[in-house]
Amino acid sequence: MYLAPDGDELGIAQAAAEFLAEAMSIERLHRAACADMSADLRHALGGMGWFALALPEDAGGSGLSAVEHALFFREVGRQCGPVDVLAQCLAATIVEDVTLRSAIANGDAGVALAVEDGTRLRIFGSENAAFMLQLGRDRSDLYPLENTASEPRASLDPATSIRLLDRVPTAVASDTGDCAWRLGQLGTAAMLVGIAEASLDQIVDYAKVRETFGKKIGSWQAVRHPCADMAVRLEAARAQLWFAATAMKEGRGDAGVHLDAAKYLANQAALANADTNIQLHGGIGVTDEHHAHLYLKHALVLARLFGGRREVLGRLLHAEVED
Amino acid sequence: MDLQYSDSDRDFRQKARTWLAANVPTTRRPANGHTSAQYDRDWQRKLYEHGWAGVAWPKEFGGLGLTGLQQVLWYEEMARARAPHYINTTYVALMHAGPTLIMRGTEAQKAFHLPKILSGDALWCQGFSEPNAGSDLASLKARGTIDGDDIVVSGAKMWTTDAQHADYQELLVRTDPDSQRHKGLTWIICDMKSPGIDIKPIRTMLNDEHINMVFYDDVRIPKSNVVGEINGGWASALATLSLERGLGFIGDQLELYERVGRATDMAGKLRLEDGTLAIDDSSIRQKLAALKADALAIRAMTLADIAETDRTGQPGPKGSMMKLLVTSAHKALSELVGDMMGWDFLEFDGDRTSHPWTYDYLWSWVFSISGGTNEIQRENIADRVLHLPRAR
Repeated sequence: MYLAPDGDELGIAQAAAEFLAEAMSIERLHRAACADMSADLRHALGGMGWFALALPEDAGGSGLSAVEHALFFREVGRQCGPVDVLAQCLAATIVEDVTLRSAIANGDAGVALAVEDGTRLRIFGSENAAFMLQLGRDRSDLYPLENTASEPRASLDPATSIRLLDRVPTAVASDTGDCAWRLGQLGTAAMLVGIAEASLDQIVDYAKVRETFGKKIGSWQAVRHPCADMAVRLEAARAQLWFAATAMKEGRGDAGVHLDAAKYLANQAALANADTNIQLHGGIGVTDEHHAHLYLKHALVLARLFGGRREVLGRLLHAEVED
Repeated sequence: MDLQYSDSDRDFRQKARTWLAANVPTTRRPANGHTSAQYDRDWQRKLYEHGWAGVAWPKEFGGLGLTGLQQVLWYEEMARARAPHYINTTYVALMHAGPTLIMRGTEAQKAFHLPKILSGDALWCQGFSEPNAGSDLASLKARGTIDGDDIVVSGAKMWTTDAQHADYQELLVRTDPDSQRHKGLTWIICDMKSPGIDIKPIRTMLNDEHINMVFYDDVRIPKSNVVGEINGGWASALATLSLERGLGFIGDQLELYERVGRATDMAGKLRLEDGTLAIDDSSIRQKLAALKADALAIRAMTLADIAETDRTGQPGPKGSMMKLLVTSAHKALSELVGDMMGWDFLEFDGDRTSHPWTYDYLWSWVFSISGGTNEIQRENIADRVLHLPRAR
């Protein structure tokens, strides 16, 4: 029994943090055309093998588990990484065709994420993506996007572009089963935990330097106590994230229940911590040049993916867990 | 990371489950008075006689020498079996006083007191807080004057739970009259039958008299009762407090999941004022499910903390986070059940056994205030976890 990153896991988390801070820093979101993964970024991530982390070794991946997957996406979240990073990873797990799988895993072929919205599909990810992945709890489908007309929509979140598609093309690969969906839910929860962490780190750093009334704001209880509440929310969400990732790695029968709980707690922690981070910064917190609003806007996207609040709570009510 | 229980862990859980199922008392604990303390002593005596006393204590001091993880299993099984609640008149002795003596007591103190605590023969109370020293404990003023082989204590202690039932007290006094704050304090074992002690019960909003004010009028306590050094009591007090903020609420952490389950079962039977079943109300459903998620996270945090402590041998700084979480969830659950129960929730006569949900609701303030208020826990987190500039 051990529920914190340990041994090689620490090395992978560290490597991911360093690579992403260089290749996909949150600073990018203050520049033009910053949404989604560029082809260059996709190739950089693919070249380092990050899309194939949880792919079995005999499928050309690193053969690592849900735990490493969660550790990687927590770091992606800290940089408000785009959701097509996740789509790319998940698509690699459902494609059987070796050539296509390798093109996805090495970043040659881009994959966007598609979510059902009424009769249409809402697409998150780069315009230059060749495919889109739609995931359900019992089936996943990969569709071609080339030569498909989609309608661009405005997006609140600078990290994510949104398009609408009326006509669903024919799938090029499909998978029944819930493995990809679960990895998606875990990855999204991990990104949200990363956002909750980054929001807390940002306000704690600021509270140590910013002064009001001749004192550091971090010495005022009006600031200290909401920061403590952020830390508590984060701790709960992170502990449940590690529990869910480990339950999935070990194939426990109740892994789905723990994933739902992890997603709910991550939704709440990211949204509340992003909110408090803006508020405690004062005026500078609402400026465009600041990161604070980026965490909130990205959390609003992620909180709706792979189980929004009502959906996961509905399943949790009567779910049973093991000892 | 791994979630594996060893064979001996699984074995332990099974043994505990089997024993508890056969031995948990079938009679309800009396709500108040000496009969309730006797009930607690009898249950502790039974645990002792069957080899289940002192789950957190090392074997060499008569405990079970369990790993942290096995303690988690024990409390989970206690909650499942609906065993007598572990926070009762034996709590201070087993969870604070005994472990503090194990860490800092003399051989003679350990030999005399530890067996009495384990067997339920000795109940303890805590004498730290004072009328003007609660959250700011280091400002305490009760005086201990050294006189030959004795320390003569004068002053008052406040919020002393179960003082009227206790045989001994963990007492913190100022033995250096010129000292400030944390210096000059001494932690002593006070025999509650000593002449000069006067106990005045304080009636609470729970309609009971579990807490007391204790007055000391030249109470003579032998110096051999000092735990740790004279004027070095703060270190012993911190040892006691770290127990309180570390695993002191482990049972509440682990029983929350069971209690959410009971509330959900209740929601499946209760009709709301408009005749609908409580469980069919979407707001109630969502709140119950959210509390279930909180309970799972609290369990995950408990396991994470325990595993870390089992590995390093040191409790981490996360006890304050846990206390905030578990007290908030406890209160939210009580409020939700109160809302579901309608008028019935208000028919409370002060009996915790016949009206457990109303009692627990009222107790949620005791929970979030005693053992360090939630505001003090936030200060601890700001200082020790976030390393923010000091407020004081």
